[in-house]
Amino acid sequence: MSDDDLKILTRHNNVVTLREYFEGERETRREQARLPFEEKIRILVTLQMLAVEWGGKKDVIVWEVQALHRNSEGGD
Amino acid sequence: MKKTLEVINELKLRGIIRDYAIGGAIAALKWIEPFFTRDLDLFIIPEKTVGKEQIVVLSPIYDYLKNKGYDKWTGQWLLIDGIPVEFIPADGVAKEAVENAVETLYEGVPTKVMSAEYLIALFLKASRDKDKIKIRMLLEQARIDKDHLRDILLRHGLWDRFEGSYHE
Repeated sequence: MSDDDLKILTRHNNVVTLREYFEGERETRREQARLPFEEKIRILVTLQMLAVEWGGKKDVIVWEVQALHRNSEGGD
Repeated sequence: MKKTLEVINELKLRGIIRDYAIGGAIAALKWIEPFFTRDLDLFIIPEKTVGKEQIVVLSPIYDYLKNKGYDKWTGQWLLIDGIPVEFIPADGVAKEAVENAVETLYEGVPTKVMSAEYLIALFLKASRDKDKIKIRMLLEQARIDKDHLRDILLRHGLWDRFEGSYHE
């Protein structure tokens, strides 16, 4: 049996092979690639915040994105 | 970012640059999953060059932006409405990438983003470790017109490099 055939128990008691598990991960990444550009920029800003606040990278500039502020203020 | 793009569009409207397109990591972000990056790379085609050597003069861009109050620099990046921007003169394959960039809207503001095929060519040309990762992500996640990509790479002498490392 190859490593790819190793079976694992995932959420909802699904049994999948390691190969299927990684294929699922690739599909999730492809789905993320289809997000709207604006949404990706909002995720980027969150990553920049994490880099500064959690990663200690003080030289990273967190971008000013209007929609992010609007959302955090509960606006439209 | 919306305001930043509005300011950049003014450069084109006022004839300070002929054209521009978003390139680099942010352009890649348009086509692949979100990932961390720091700055906004803008590839520009200048309105004019100087002398026989066709030197690109960026000072009209900086002067215009300075008059609008954007004069804070961090390293090579100019801060435009809170976003670090780098202006990169486009030549060769980069110029072609600007001319063929995809017109899109960001929060209603028109802009242009380099296509996945041209980004692969430019990342291949730079070929730093981080560029190689983006090429693999683009090949896996973006819709690539393979014939178009091959045509670009062949015309710009990049096909052998691509075929040796990425072509299946």
